[in-house]
Amino acid sequence: MKRALSILAVASAMGGPVLAEEFTWAGTTDPQTLDPHAVNSAPVLGFLNNVYEGLVRRGKDMSIEPALATSWEPIGNGKGWRFLLREGVTFHDGSSFDAEDVLFSYQRASNEGSDTRSWFSPVSDVKVVDAYTVDILTTAPNPIFPDSIANWMMVDKGWAEANESALPDKENGNYATLNANGTGAFMVSEREPGLRTELVPHAGWWGEVEHNITRAEFTPVQNPATAVAALLSGDVDMINPVPIQDAERLAGSGDVQVIRGIEARVIMLGMAQESDVLKYGDDEGKPNPFKDARVRAAVSHAVNVPAILKTIMRGNAEPASQLVSPAMRGYSNANADRPVFDQAKAKALLAEAGYPDGFSFGLKCPNNRYLNDEAVCQAVTSMLAQVGMVAQLDAMPVQNYWPELRADNYDMYLLGWSPGTFDAEHPIRFLASTPNKEKKLGSWNFAGYSNARIDALLPMIQSEIDATKRQDMLDEAAKIMQDETAYVPMYVQPLVWGTGKNISLTQRPDNFFILRWVSVN
Amino acid sequence: MSDQTSQSAPKSMFARAWDSDFAYNFRRTPVAVGSAFVVALLVLSAIFAPLIAPHNPFDPASLDLMNGFTAPMAANEFTGDVFWLGTDDQGRDVFSTILYGMRISLFVGFSAVLFAMVLGITLGLIAGYVGGWIETIIMRAADVQLTFPAILVAMLIFGVAKGITPIEHQDKMAIWVLILAIGLSDWVQFARVVRGATLVEKDKEYVQAARMIGRGKGIIMLRHILPNVLSPVLVIATISLALAIIAEATLSFLGVGAPPTQPSLGTLIRIGQGFLFSGEWWIILFPSVTLLSLALSVNLLGDWLRDALNPRLQ
Repeated sequence: MKRALSILAVASAMGGPVLAEEFTWAGTTDPQTLDPHAVNSAPVLGFLNNVYEGLVRRGKDMSIEPALATSWEPIGNGKGWRFLLREGVTFHDGSSFDAEDVLFSYQRASNEGSDTRSWFSPVSDVKVVDAYTVDILTTAPNPIFPDSIANWMMVDKGWAEANESALPDKENGNYATLNANGTGAFMVSEREPGLRTELVPHAGWWGEVEHNITRAEFTPVQNPATAVAALLSGDVDMINPVPIQDAERLAGSGDVQVIRGIEARVIMLGMAQESDVLKYGDDEGKPNPFKDARVRAAVSHAVNVPAILKTIMRGNAEPASQLVSPAMRGYSNANADRPVFDQAKAKALLAEAGYPDGFSFGLKCPNNRYLNDEAVCQAVTSMLAQVGMVAQLDAMPVQNYWPELRADNYDMYLLGWSPGTFDAEHPIRFLASTPNKEKKLGSWNFAGYSNARIDALLPMIQSEIDATKRQDMLDEAAKIMQDETAYVPMYVQPLVWGTGKNISLTQRPDNFFILRWVSVN
Repeated sequence: MSDQTSQSAPKSMFARAWDSDFAYNFRRTPVAVGSAFVVALLVLSAIFAPLIAPHNPFDPASLDLMNGFTAPMAANEFTGDVFWLGTDDQGRDVFSTILYGMRISLFVGFSAVLFAMVLGITLGLIAGYVGGWIETIIMRAADVQLTFPAILVAMLIFGVAKGITPIEHQDKMAIWVLILAIGLSDWVQFARVVRGATLVEKDKEYVQAARMIGRGKGIIMLRHILPNVLSPVLVIATISLALAIIAEATLSFLGVGAPPTQPSLGTLIRIGQGFLFSGEWWIILFPSVTLLSLALSVNLLGDWLRDALNPRLQ
């Protein structure tokens, strides 16, 4: 009887009418939170771009276009911007959007406990002019400011305050961690962290609907082989990423297509430069060699990037010489060469720095954040060991990884950075400025890299309007970071998505998956 | 004179063992001989891995990434090196990695079974001989644990142990935590069998006699009862060994066991699984075949042992 019932259940599940266009997709990383101001990382911001919206947004070609603001213009001799807000916009819960929500979202996103605080380092004040006009004042002229706030998402003041989520809480979480109330094209109808997140279209959305989805579901699948199997069997309509080793085979199969591109993300090694002692390995407690620029340079010469690209990345990635990829604005063509792979030179540099026999330290690495991240770290471990730097590798899921980095629990770590503004100024602000809570700078500079000239250059770059002068300063900053080996940039990560043949979508180089451009045919 | 001495001298231990029914039975069972041969071969090659293996896969300095994904018996296109069973994504020689990985699998398997055996026998003896509320507590705990699949219990214990060890020691502790987790999930079988056998033995005359002359409970349990309940324990231990090796592989396959820099067979299979679609079949095939032959032959050996030690079947 029981068996008969279950057969019946299966039959009805299979034979039932397929409700119009349902779309399911899988990715390696579940967004840690639904709070748009709690964590500044691509899996979170990319996902929430479907749910929340900012004053401006990026189009299919990454250009800035109006979203919740219809237009904007510089005011006060360039020291600020006036945004005219779109009228008649409603949040998912039905309440309307106005200037108070912008002010509230500024206060929320620039708060001490918010991970997006660095975005607002150039901002001195936000003023509500009337219900649909907002002035954002900057400390100095800032020509690229509208480009820098595409991911600053608007939260409803009333909703957040009513649910005790007026401030983001990235450690313990609050109501806004598990629930969302944006103005975007989709709203979260169900959320089970780590398992599934269900989205349905927001009927009251202001924009023109391009998609034909009636229900969408995201499932994190950690195991790449499982994700590929799910795509091939039709269980999911799209996976991101496709494991690089499987791209060729999938591209040749009849039912799925592989969509490739180069991501804006540079994968690099960071080294603790603030800590006085090593924290891991056999030399735990001994003076920290990474404070010495020669040791950091030795690392850059010891890592065989071409080998990583050839084997682990199977020729799908480009080497990187600086913190941004060549496709970004402000890339320094003058500093395009990366340190050559030269073990003898690395050993000589180590000996010169006083470590002829090398040393032992700890390498932290995520195992579900970047393409083949753990394999790359293992390869780096063996390459460094060949010149005497013996790394104790500790690879962990990304939800444990960021807290470890924030707690300074590393000697060396792997980091990928995709500039949200598509500009070379962005990583300088986040990764190379001396960490400073007051000035909202260096919030992802875990390494603690600090250079007075870079700190001085940053505000000048931000306010320079002349493109040539700006590029000169960006070149200088790139050169300083190369000379001091602030980081060891390795390669620009490839983008490899796989979808069913019946899906059409747009792949953006920031690896954000925008649901409103998807159609199921 | 000398002739006489040699005739009357007792036979050597080996000769006596060779003539026993047990050994005779063994020699007459081809499956037992075959599986014992496979087990011996695998165990020996694991023990002598450093002498046999062409590379040391645990030494990161000896790896060359350019050797990655070399097919078995083919020359690498960049370095020209040839590997019997090919290399994995890190350029590790699969054959050497299997040998070294098997050491971890076997070590974890043996230690976990030993741990489970000591724990199970102790608790089973006490429960069976002492009885009363102690027996109730031990055996009900065993019953509760039996309702959960062993692998689930092992994962739970592994998770708790991992949670309380500081992160920087987790890699070093991983192997011991695995042993603890698998051992704790497996003691019930031993306890139940030993308790049952103890209940039978404890009222026999020799035990009563021992009690009569005033020997202590501990001595009676250890010196008198234990030797008489050991033969079923031996059978369970062998079969448990196969299960423990598989449990270790399962945990490592799920990514919660041996660390990737020190892969066991399960970790190797997990790594290889990522390359199933892309055609690098050798990374998963050879470790799987090794695991299969190891577990299967230990199991067959256990089966034969059960039959051989069962007086009713002779």
